[in-house]
Amino acid sequence: MKKVQLKELAYARSGDKGDVCNVGIMAKTKNVYNFLEKAITPEKVKAHFKGMVKGDVDIYPLPNIDCMNLALRRSLGGGATCTLRFDQTGKSMGPVLLGMELEADEALIEEAQQAEKEVIQKYRVS
Amino acid sequence: MKKVVIGSGSAFWGDMLEPAVEMAERSDVQYIGFDHLAELTMALLNRMKLRNPEMGYVPDIIPWMKKLLPVTVPKGIKMMTNAGGANPLQAATEVVKVIKDLNLGPMKIGVVSGDDVLPYLDDIRKQGWKFKNMDTGEEDIDRIRDRIVAANAYTGADEIITELKNGADMVITGRVSDNALYVGPLMYEFGWEYTDEYVNQIAAAVTIGHIIECSACVTGGMSNMWKVSERPWDMGFPILEVFENGDAIVTKTPGSGGIVNPWTVKEHLIYEVIDPRNYLMPDGIGDFSTIKIEEVGRNRVKVSNLSGKKRPDTLKLCIGFQDGYIGEGQALFPSPDALEKARFSEKWLRERFKKLGVEFDELRIDYIGVNTLHGDAAEIEDKDYNEVGLRIAGKAKTKKAAEAVRREATHLWTQGPVGSSFGTPMNVRPVIALWPTLVPRDMVRTESQLMEVK
Repeated sequence: MKKVQLKELAYARSGDKGDVCNVGIMAKTKNVYNFLEKAITPEKVKAHFKGMVKGDVDIYPLPNIDCMNLALRRSLGGGATCTLRFDQTGKSMGPVLLGMELEADEALIEEAQQAEKEVIQKYRVS
Repeated sequence: MKKVVIGSGSAFWGDMLEPAVEMAERSDVQYIGFDHLAELTMALLNRMKLRNPEMGYVPDIIPWMKKLLPVTVPKGIKMMTNAGGANPLQAATEVVKVIKDLNLGPMKIGVVSGDDVLPYLDDIRKQGWKFKNMDTGEEDIDRIRDRIVAANAYTGADEIITELKNGADMVITGRVSDNALYVGPLMYEFGWEYTDEYVNQIAAAVTIGHIIECSACVTGGMSNMWKVSERPWDMGFPILEVFENGDAIVTKTPGSGGIVNPWTVKEHLIYEVIDPRNYLMPDGIGDFSTIKIEEVGRNRVKVSNLSGKKRPDTLKLCIGFQDGYIGEGQALFPSPDALEKARFSEKWLRERFKKLGVEFDELRIDYIGVNTLHGDAAEIEDKDYNEVGLRIAGKAKTKKAAEAVRREATHLWTQGPVGSSFGTPMNVRPVIALWPTLVPRDMVRTESQLMEVK
């Protein structure tokens, strides 16, 4: 087992619905998804954001597309129109979560890194 | 199998115009949807209409139509736009002028209105309905009633379909949900009705409409694929090729830049969504837990096996109310001791507010380049930064208190640490807070009409 940041294993993008920030997490492979489904817990996510998430964290799994959706409740200072946050709509919360540390199998980390390389190679702009 | 081709031409008020024009010119779309409204936009448009009854629509619709109509009319492309905002009828009147000026008639324009619930908000309450706040659980709007400035229902595709059946070449709406701009034409073309028979097809339309309704956000914009997006400065807007069973191909304008691949579709599918098994829209409920996403070609992704549930009996109602003022200020500090200078300035500001006796409902100070985005999750390193910024924002009941934030931040210029640098100070802004709630569908008085240009 090895310490790894979530960014090595998944992509993330976030947005807002009122005072709820949603973070979509896209696992880089099926095996990684199966690992993340257990490894990412509401407690862990809330702890990573320290005081930023004031309400509950709900996790909605989507095994059909190797994704999960996180709802971070009461995390945007009341919502886009009345928040004092610079990032009014929570766009940076996904990337911030990618800094979360997990303990993963070395082979799995390598698999994710290989998948990332393949994406770059496949779509690279010539 | 019958196929309908529909594109997205705008995701918000201020979106780029050329990608929509290029889509009309270069692709075989039959419909283009244009979303120009956000939650706050309706409150702004209402205020404009109060000042001048001939305003209240999104003014972009005029330059947009001047560029688009000469391309769409000869090709028979129908545009669906919610740029009508708080005044769809006036927006349509303005578009009629453009059509006449450019001699593009005859044309029929469907106008959909009636999403504005504010005039009869109290009538609905008298019938016993309570506008419970879905975020906070507060039972009704008594506390904010005298500060309400907007109340718009997110209506569905019903009236859009009515006007397409009436032969409309274009439909202009008020606060119709962005999603309905796509669901409407698909239901009309395929003859889907709001009956049990078509539940999955309509849920599919809701889901695929969601996939493209934010324009560039599924074609390489705000994407994890940003490093591999082709000519991102020439990003194409998304197009759906939709089949009768609800399956669809997601693609983009031929020859355009950007990227469509399974990752861009996934990241947008779950963007701004809470429960992906219950994606609630006025026309149906999408369930994303059955969807299949597969790459079928370069910049072509197939989505299939879509499902969902019947449309709910209530509509989302967004109530906007005045809730004080926000003042902001910024300064940048150079090395040496950039972070120390920011810390010094934070203390200086807090002491100033104490001395002035200014009270805030909330005050926030961030160090730009250090913890503005990472917040409490950031570990602050004590190193010699090249530069660190300070951003201060305060919310107060009075404009005067909010002004103090801006004014005192400006005084750092002459009284802060050596090297304190400033840009132009930002104006204080009034806060329109939102009260998300529900309203029974049958209590919302939607209506539509057809305007004909000879």
